[in-house]
Amino acid sequence: MAHVQVVFFWFAYLLYAGGFVCFAYFLFSRRELQDRLGMACVAAGWLLETMALAARWVEAGHVPVVGGYESMVTLSWAIVAIYLILAWRTRVKALGLYVVPAALVFLTIAWGRYAPPAHLVPALKSDIVVIHVGMIFTALAAFLVAGGAALIYLVEDIALKRRHIGPVLGRLPSLRTLDQLIGHAVMTGLPFLSMGIAAGAIRAEKFGVEHWWRDAVVALAVIAWAIYAGFVYARLAAGWTGRRTAWLAIAGLVCLLAIRLVAVPYLSGFHVWGK
Amino acid sequence: MHLVVTGISHKTAPLELRERLALPCDEAARFGRRLLDAGPAAEAVVLTTCNRTEVYLFADDTLAAERLAVERLATLAGVDPAELRAAAYQKSGDDAIAHLFRVAASLDSLVVGEAQIVAQLKDAYQAACGEGCTSTVFNKLFRHALEVGKRVRSETAIGERPVSVSSVAVDLARQVLGKLERRVVLVLGAGETSELTVRHLQAHGAGAVVVVNRTLANAEELAARCHGRAVCLDELDAQLVAADIVISSTGSRDFVVDRARFAEIMRRRRRRPVFVIDIAVPRDFEPAVGRLEGCYLYDIDDLQGVVASNRDQRERQVAQAERIVAEELARMNEWLASLEVVPTIARLRSAIDGIREAELERMAGPLGTLSPTQRAQVEQLTTSIVNKILHLPTVRMKELAAERDVSVYVDALRRLFDLDEVAPVPARDGDAAADAAGAALPRAASGACALPAPAADAAPLASPAPFVSPAQAS
Repeated sequence: MAHVQVVFFWFAYLLYAGGFVCFAYFLFSRRELQDRLGMACVAAGWLLETMALAARWVEAGHVPVVGGYESMVTLSWAIVAIYLILAWRTRVKALGLYVVPAALVFLTIAWGRYAPPAHLVPALKSDIVVIHVGMIFTALAAFLVAGGAALIYLVEDIALKRRHIGPVLGRLPSLRTLDQLIGHAVMTGLPFLSMGIAAGAIRAEKFGVEHWWRDAVVALAVIAWAIYAGFVYARLAAGWTGRRTAWLAIAGLVCLLAIRLVAVPYLSGFHVWGK
Repeated sequence: MHLVVTGISHKTAPLELRERLALPCDEAARFGRRLLDAGPAAEAVVLTTCNRTEVYLFADDTLAAERLAVERLATLAGVDPAELRAAAYQKSGDDAIAHLFRVAASLDSLVVGEAQIVAQLKDAYQAACGEGCTSTVFNKLFRHALEVGKRVRSETAIGERPVSVSSVAVDLARQVLGKLERRVVLVLGAGETSELTVRHLQAHGAGAVVVVNRTLANAEELAARCHGRAVCLDELDAQLVAADIVISSTGSRDFVVDRARFAEIMRRRRRRPVFVIDIAVPRDFEPAVGRLEGCYLYDIDDLQGVVASNRDQRERQVAQAERIVAEELARMNEWLASLEVVPTIARLRSAIDGIREAELERMAGPLGTLSPTQRAQVEQLTTSIVNKILHLPTVRMKELAAERDVSVYVDALRRLFDLDEVAPVPARDGDAAADAAGAALPRAASGACALPAPAADAAPLASPAPFVSPAQAS
C-alpha cells in the first residue's frame, strides 16, 4: 500500500507542476488551450492525490491528518478542492497561478516529513479531533484562496495606479471580481475556523490538557480569527473594500501559515502526534 | 484554372475612389454574378469593406477575367478603367491565396488586428454563395480563409488589446469595475471624445448617464443624445459620490476637482472604487487625486500611452501571424494540387476504357459467335486488364497529390495520353456543360450552389464540407 500511495503522490505532484506551467504560460502567451490543459492537469492531479490519501487512510487505519506528512498532503488536497470549486463556479482561473504553487509547496514540505503511519496517541482517538482538523483545514484552504486573490488584487491595483498596463493585466480578473472573491472566500472560511477552534477547545477541556489556552498554536489561531472577524465586520458594517480588506486577508493568512509552518512543528506544547 | 484577385484598398487607392466602390454586401454578390455570366471566370467572390473592394476570381483565362473585372468596376465607379487600373492591385496563384489569408487575418487592415474583417469576409462569401457564385474551390478557399482569421486571432494576441482612446478607456474601466452593467457614468463637460467614450461604455452595458456642464443647455443636448439626464454644476459633488465612471473634458483653465475635494468625496463614497478619465487639456483633476485609495485616474497622455503600447504589441504579433498564414497557404496548396489529380485520373481512366470498348466493338464480328457467358468473360477479362494497368498509376498519383510538384506529373499524364483532347471543352455559358472533371470541379452555375441555402444564417460554414472532396470524387 505504501508504494501505491507514493506513486500516486508523485504523479499528483507532477500534474500540479504541469498545471502550473500551463497557467504561467497562458498568462504570457494567451492560448486558451494551455489554460484548459492547466485545469485538466490540476483536476487529474487532484484525483490522484485523492487516491494517494485514500491509500494512506487504508494503510494507517485512521483519517490521514496525523503527523507532518499526512496533514500537509490533506491540506494541499483541501486547497486544490476549494480552488477547483471556485474556478468552476466563478471562472476566475488566474487564481491557479497562486493556489497551485501553494499546493506544491505544501506537498514538498510533506515529502520532507514523510514517515510511515504512526499509531495514534490516546488524545487523538476521538471523533471530535477529526471534526477539529477537518474544519481547520477547510478554513485554511478558503483563507489561502482569499490570500491569493488578495495578493493578485494588490499587484493589479499597483499596476493600474502606476499605469503598467500590458497584456498580462488584461488576462487577470478585474479588481471588483477579485474583491468579491476575497469577501466570499473569507466569509466561507470564518465559520469553519470558528467551529474548528471550538472543537479543539472542547477536546482539550475534555482530555484535560493543562493551560491549553497558553499554547502558541491556540494564541495564533485566536489572533487569526480576530483578524478575519474584523474583516467581516469592516466589510459588512463599515463598508470596507479594496486594498484594506486585501491586506486584512493577507495578515490573517500569515498568522495561519505561521501556525502550520512554525508553531505546530516547533513551538506547540501539545499539538504533537503519535510517536 | 487559376486564382486571381484584383481590387483596391486603403493602401493603394484614395478614399474618394474607395467610397465609389463601397457596395453593400448583396450588391457586391450580384456584381460577382454578372461577372460570371459574362464569361471568363468560373467562380467569384466580391469583398467590400470601407477600406477595400476586391474581386476574387477562379478562371481558366485569368487575364481576361481580371481585365473584365477591372472594366466592370470602373464602370461601376464611373471612372476610366486606366485610372482604376493604376490604383488597383492584381495577384494570382499563391500570391492571391496569401493575400486573402492576410486580409482574413486582418494583417492587411488599416488597424492591424481589427476584428470586423472576419465577419465581413464571411458575409461576402455567404452572399456570393447565395448568388451561386462559388463552387468547389472557393467554398474550400473561403472557409479556409475564415479559419485562418480565427486561428490568427486565437493563437496570437494580435487583436487582444484595444488601440483607440475610447476603447482603451472602456477596457480599463472593466479591469477596475468588472462588468459595466448598471454602472453610473458621469460626464463632466461635453466634448466629442467624451460622447464617443460614453457610447462605447453603453455598448458594454453601462447604465445611467449623467451630464454635468457649466451651461445646462449644452448638457441637456448631450444628455438627450446619450439617453441620460443633465444636472447643473452645483450638484457636481453629489454626482461624483454616486458615479462609478467619470469622464471629464471641460474647458476650465484650472483644476475643477482638487485632491482635498475628491478625498472628501471618496470618504463619502466609502472608498467605493471610481474610474476617472480626464481627457481635458489643461486637466480637470489634480493628478494627486489618482493616489487616493480606490480612485483610478487616467489623463489623455496615460490613455494614449496605453494605445501606443498596445499598438506596439500588435505589431510584434505580426511575424507570428505571418507564419500562420504561410503554414495555411501550404495546406491550401496541397488541397489544390490534389484537386488537379482527381480529374486527371478520371480522364485517364475514361480514355483507356474508351480504347477497350472501341477494340471490343471492332472485334464484334469475330466475337459474335461466342455465347453470352463467354462474351461476359471477355468483357470481364478486358476490364480487369485495364484495371490492373491503371491501378499503380492511380495509387501513385494519389500519393503524389500530397506533394508540391504534383502538377509536373499531372502535366505528363495529360501529354502522354492526350487527355485534354478527351475532355470536352467547358462550355462558356455555364449551365448545361458537364466537363469531364464535372464530378470534382463543377462550374458555379446560377441557382446550383453547392452549399445549403445561406438563408439559414452561418449554416454553410457550420455544416460539414458539402463540396466533393478529392477522395470522394475518385
